[in-house]
Amino acid sequence: MNNIEDMFKDIKKDLDDIDVPNNLENRLNKALEDKVMKKKRKNRLGKIVAVFLVFLLIGFNFDALAFYGKKILGYDNVMNGALKELNDAGKGQIINKSYTFKNGVSVILDGIMIDETQLLAFYTIEDPSGKDMIPRFELKGLVKEYFPEGGYGKYNDERTIIKYIQSFDPPHFYERSLKFNIHLYNEDINETGEIKFKIDRDKAMGHTLKNSINKTIEMERENIHFDSILASPTRTVIKGSIQNIFELAKDVINNDRLRPNNIETKLYANGKEMKYQGGGMSTDHKGITFHKEYDPLPENLKSLKLELVSFSGDHDINKVIDVDINEKEQKIDIIGQGIVINEIDKRNEETLITITTEENTILTKVYLIIDGETVELEETFNNNYKKLKNGEVLHTRTLKFHGVGEKYKLEIKRMTYSKEYNKTIDIPIE
Amino acid sequence: METKILVKKAKTGDKDALVELIMKEKSNYYKLAFLYLKNKEDSLDAMEDMIVILYENIYKLKKNDSFYSWSKTILVNCCKKIIKQRKKTVSIDSIKEQSYKENYEQRENKILLEKYLSQLGEKYQEVIKLRYFLDLEYKVIAEILKIPLGTVKSRISYGLNKLQAKIGGENIE
Repeated sequence: MNNIEDMFKDIKKDLDDIDVPNNLENRLNKALEDKVMKKKRKNRLGKIVAVFLVFLLIGFNFDALAFYGKKILGYDNVMNGALKELNDAGKGQIINKSYTFKNGVSVILDGIMIDETQLLAFYTIEDPSGKDMIPRFELKGLVKEYFPEGGYGKYNDERTIIKYIQSFDPPHFYERSLKFNIHLYNEDINETGEIKFKIDRDKAMGHTLKNSINKTIEMERENIHFDSILASPTRTVIKGSIQNIFELAKDVINNDRLRPNNIETKLYANGKEMKYQGGGMSTDHKGITFHKEYDPLPENLKSLKLELVSFSGDHDINKVIDVDINEKEQKIDIIGQGIVINEIDKRNEETLITITTEENTILTKVYLIIDGETVELEETFNNNYKKLKNGEVLHTRTLKFHGVGEKYKLEIKRMTYSKEYNKTIDIPIE
Repeated sequence: METKILVKKAKTGDKDALVELIMKEKSNYYKLAFLYLKNKEDSLDAMEDMIVILYENIYKLKKNDSFYSWSKTILVNCCKKIIKQRKKTVSIDSIKEQSYKENYEQRENKILLEKYLSQLGEKYQEVIKLRYFLDLEYKVIAEILKIPLGTVKSRISYGLNKLQAKIGGENIE
């Protein structure tokens, strides 16, 4: 997708060049000139009425709530195997409260399930109009807001009802009750609903395995650290890091950044590969960190192994390479990645360069310097893939640059490549 | 001055502190507004609207740390309101000329990309622009737009795939 992303960069450059108007501060000050801060109004009557209403609602519905027993109903098609078992064992907490918006869309919080790695919210959205209205959610605790991490759901055939399971960070130990805030926002409506519920700590599950891993696998440029494992009845989370903030800062200053694309790992419990649920990566004040999520661990755990299958990232290269127009099959080596320049062809004021690399190697930012003048890549075409006997796949394509000349230099600013490692580490299970 | 102290001051009604908070990140705010509104006057209006809302509601902000994501959410909503009110869309062409040399084809690519981008649904455009034009992290986008992280990712990847299909080119995956 680098073509598009490169084009984006051009537009981004335009935006970066915009100057903030000098009169901004003045305008802001003027806007506030005659404004008076609103004071918090204490609406005690309102509160009393609200408490009374809640009391009435819950009072009348209490029997109905109890009737449904201890299982969260209606999610058989949405839950995975492990969740189904937990639900059958009564590990979910029934909430069964709803909020209806003015336009008829209603959200029912059917239940929650809590363990040490996450809070799962089971909810139903009913939209009689079938317009696929998906509200936004957040859980609000005493002080902290818990934002959704990820989730999945299923529509009915008419697309009027969706059953959804959404994962949030687990609530802090001091939270007694939470507010499930629902924002519905589009051209016609801008409304926020709230469902408040108490957490039943008796239902909350802890962890099955919590350990630091603290092992490092050396990679070509950086090391990859696997920091910790936290397994709970609903999932297994492995956390790691690639660069801490100092290493990251150093690279940014040196203009030598690494942008990881994908870290492929596999988790084996008792020799069996665990199902991958998802993962993520972020670059922030902690440096570059990542996490991987797998299915919950089996009960009679004897061994646990983690394999680093491959790592792919976009690297700052900033290298200029002389190329000879007349020589065919020129081989160049960039941090261990071979690039073959098969042929350079001048045609109608255009220079066509055919190159071959490994399948996952891509020159994400490449320029051609023609007689001292830098030219951007115009397009890539003639993509050909060839599979070798050893399983390796070679990718040959032609890069088109505008302009012709005598002396050519290839300037590689950034390059993405993937490298297989297939290294395994043991995770302590004691 | 420290952000936290400024937020505390702003909560007591200190207008200067609030203005200083915004001015500290003026470029980020202004570019965010510009991304939506695409011209100077509307962007300034949106920021005026925002600061009034911030001033009148800052006492509701419980977590001082989240001032910036909170205020940016409000700015985005102000921008959307202005778009709705004035029902006018201006192409990004109105951005000032670039100073450096650029050949014709690259410009054409850009215009083409703009065109395809504008054919995507609003919610896909929005996340792609925030990600690639403002270089915001997925998590920050999720906080500003108040949508789940997963939704941000899936919208971006859906949008990119659509664009890719329309444009073609060297594929990274």
